[in-house]
Amino acid sequence: MKNAVAVALLCVLVTSGCVPTRAAIPPTPAPLVERCDATQAQLSVEADQRASPWSIEKHVARNFPGRHVSWLMKDSAYQTFVVQTNAKNFGRCNDTGCYLFAAPTTVIQRAVQESMKDGKHDPEVLGKALGLPAKNFEGTLRMMTLDLDATGVCVRLPVESDPGVWKCTTPEETDCFKFGGYTSGGVPEVMVLNAPVAQARVEEVP
Amino acid sequence: MSDEEVLLQSPLLYRLLRDRSGALLMEVVVGGIAMSMVRVRLNAEETAAYAREGQAFADRLAKAIMADPPFGGRAVDVP
Repeated sequence: MKNAVAVALLCVLVTSGCVPTRAAIPPTPAPLVERCDATQAQLSVEADQRASPWSIEKHVARNFPGRHVSWLMKDSAYQTFVVQTNAKNFGRCNDTGCYLFAAPTTVIQRAVQESMKDGKHDPEVLGKALGLPAKNFEGTLRMMTLDLDATGVCVRLPVESDPGVWKCTTPEETDCFKFGGYTSGGVPEVMVLNAPVAQARVEEVP
Repeated sequence: MSDEEVLLQSPLLYRLLRDRSGALLMEVVVGGIAMSMVRVRLNAEETAAYAREGQAFADRLAKAIMADPPFGGRAVDVP
């Protein structure tokens, strides 16, 4: 009798799809370098060798929760160079691609949220949080966010030859480029290639 | 309505303008994770170089401004 009940219960579980299974494990994303074209892949390999034992994979895993990136842009620049031109990609574009510096979304969002006062951001507070001069944040801003895995964009450590790099000339400068994956203000950063405008979330920061 | 004529708008994130007086101005997006815009008025030498070389010179000048946004004190922040 007991055996009959056990068999019946087993049949019910199998036919109802209630057989216990292991929790679904999200697939491991493919190596970031595989998303890059030959030129960018070469730059990424060289940057990783230079930063060794650090690498873009370790950098993203350690510093970019959810593998999301964000960046800020003054609204005047956003309107002139993204909206009016109907740009397809963010960043500075040349024959080899469009180059964009980006930081962890958690860092940018927290800095923006903590700078908000009476419905507007405080450039001093935001600048201090991101280790950059307050004047970079005056006026209305746009905050962009991109999911690295959903978009499948090429991401690597930034290097001195990237378009837009401000080369440091004195130790006192706080908004110039230093190799290693961190801004001179200590915020993690990556170089994103061909970040699609259509797949980015764009929010106004009053 | 702007009194300035756009001579060049580059995907490198700069544009070259001519104001009512005929002077050339360059607006360049500078910065990394936080991008802003600066404006530089071209001097006589740079204006002549643009007349000779066109966009090749403008590209070089824009890259020079991106690499040193204060540009020797000549750059003015665009609000």
